[in-house]
Amino acid sequence: MTYPHMDAKLNEYVDGTLAARNRASVEAHLAECAGCRTAVAELRSLSAAAARLPKSIEPGQDLWPAIAARIRPRATWNVQRVWWRGAVAAAAVLVIALGLYRLLPPSTALYRPAGEGWVAVQADFDRASDELSRILAVERERLRPETVALLERNLAVIDTAIAESRAALARDPASAELRRFFAAAARQKVELLRWAARVAAS
Amino acid sequence: MRVMKGCLVLWLALLARQATAQARIDERWPLDPGGSIRIVNPFGSIRVLGWDADSVAVSARLGTRAGRFFAAGDGHVRKLGVDGGNGEPAELEAHVPRGATVWVKSATASIEVEGMDGTLDLSSQGGSIRVVGTPQDLTAETMDGAVEVAGGTARARVKTVSGDILLRGASQDLGASTLSGRIVVRAAGWQRGGTGVQRGKFESVTGDVRFEGELGRGGVVEVESQSGTIEVRVPASVVADFDVLTIAGTITNHLGDAPPKPRAAGTGQELRFSTGAGGAQVTVRNFKGAIVLGPK
Repeated sequence: MTYPHMDAKLNEYVDGTLAARNRASVEAHLAECAGCRTAVAELRSLSAAAARLPKSIEPGQDLWPAIAARIRPRATWNVQRVWWRGAVAAAAVLVIALGLYRLLPPSTALYRPAGEGWVAVQADFDRASDELSRILAVERERLRPETVALLERNLAVIDTAIAESRAALARDPASAELRRFFAAAARQKVELLRWAARVAAS
Repeated sequence: MRVMKGCLVLWLALLARQATAQARIDERWPLDPGGSIRIVNPFGSIRVLGWDADSVAVSARLGTRAGRFFAAGDGHVRKLGVDGGNGEPAELEAHVPRGATVWVKSATASIEVEGMDGTLDLSSQGGSIRVVGTPQDLTAETMDGAVEVAGGTARARVKTVSGDILLRGASQDLGASTLSGRIVVRAAGWQRGGTGVQRGKFESVTGDVRFEGELGRGGVVEVESQSGTIEVRVPASVVADFDVLTIAGTITNHLGDAPPKPRAAGTGQELRFSTGAGGAQVTVRNFKGAIVLGPK
């Protein structure tokens, strides 16, 4: 378990941008909190992995057809279906995690120039969101009709929120606050899609 | 003819009895005071009651088409519930050791837990969730059911899609997230045996969020919404630093004299003020909804 209020501090701690007085208090907290120690280790690992990434990631154009082909024969490929769904979901979450990580304020994350970073983040989020949506589309028939209706209603709500944040960010791409709003809405959407996929699979 | 009529009446009576018949289950198994129990009941209701005994006692009522009752496990872990039904509700009530770890899952069945001190992991697609007591750690998720938590938890994480969330009592570490539901937090302070909220994060997309109550000394509370109205009501004497911002909405401050300022970007408002050093830290963010700060 990590504490929500520590997130920004831990990011800054890992980036080495934390003020000295705060650094001491974070270190004191880390000495007592296994969850935050783990979070710091993950952030360091993520930071190192992100630093090794190319500036843009080109996904395989034929990724989905191959997955869909394996998913289609449901009765006999159940194990593979679950495995692929998990793998794609994990990949989608990794992509969006990296994207959202880059959305954090410059002092707490890898900073990219406004234009390049924003375009990359949009692409990351769209890709992850699309992949999860496709997974859900395959499983959709297993959801109760009222759950599907609820899902559609709330996806519309969140898409509106994302569009608003996106439009505001387009006008003011360097705003850390707007990035935070976009990140929050994007995270909510991904979590909702994952939740629905999990319910459909259960 | 009379015999035929008699047979018909008897057949109809048997049919009616079968249609209304309910299976009644009463079972009991030993379970460690710190053991784990997993309960599944898709439709109907699930009630979990903590007690000071090292056993699990279950009573269930199942309609003929509600599926079958199952139970398995040992003194450390026990799994029980209803499966194979066709949507007919089943009522399930379990008494479990107060300190046990409890995992409950339902589709539309309501989940109610009382008197537990251990860890609770409660999940439903559309059922409501109600927890009364002092669980050490609570996770509750439901898509469109309402969630109510009353009492006190060391840590609680509640999530809905459209269901309303009500958290009241003396909890320390609270997190609540919803898309279109409403979040209401009533945090008790020392007068009611609590310490105020030490850590709190409450977020919605369109749902309103209302935080009302005590802030722990040094506590950190974050409230965020895309378009819901955010209302923060704390004691007028509270010692805290407030950092409030809305991108396109308005801020109303009744907590002090500090007026909100227009944002440098041209739209929205921001407000930063402190009522004293060493207190709590309150951060409020709203994209386009209103923010109201006031005394409770």
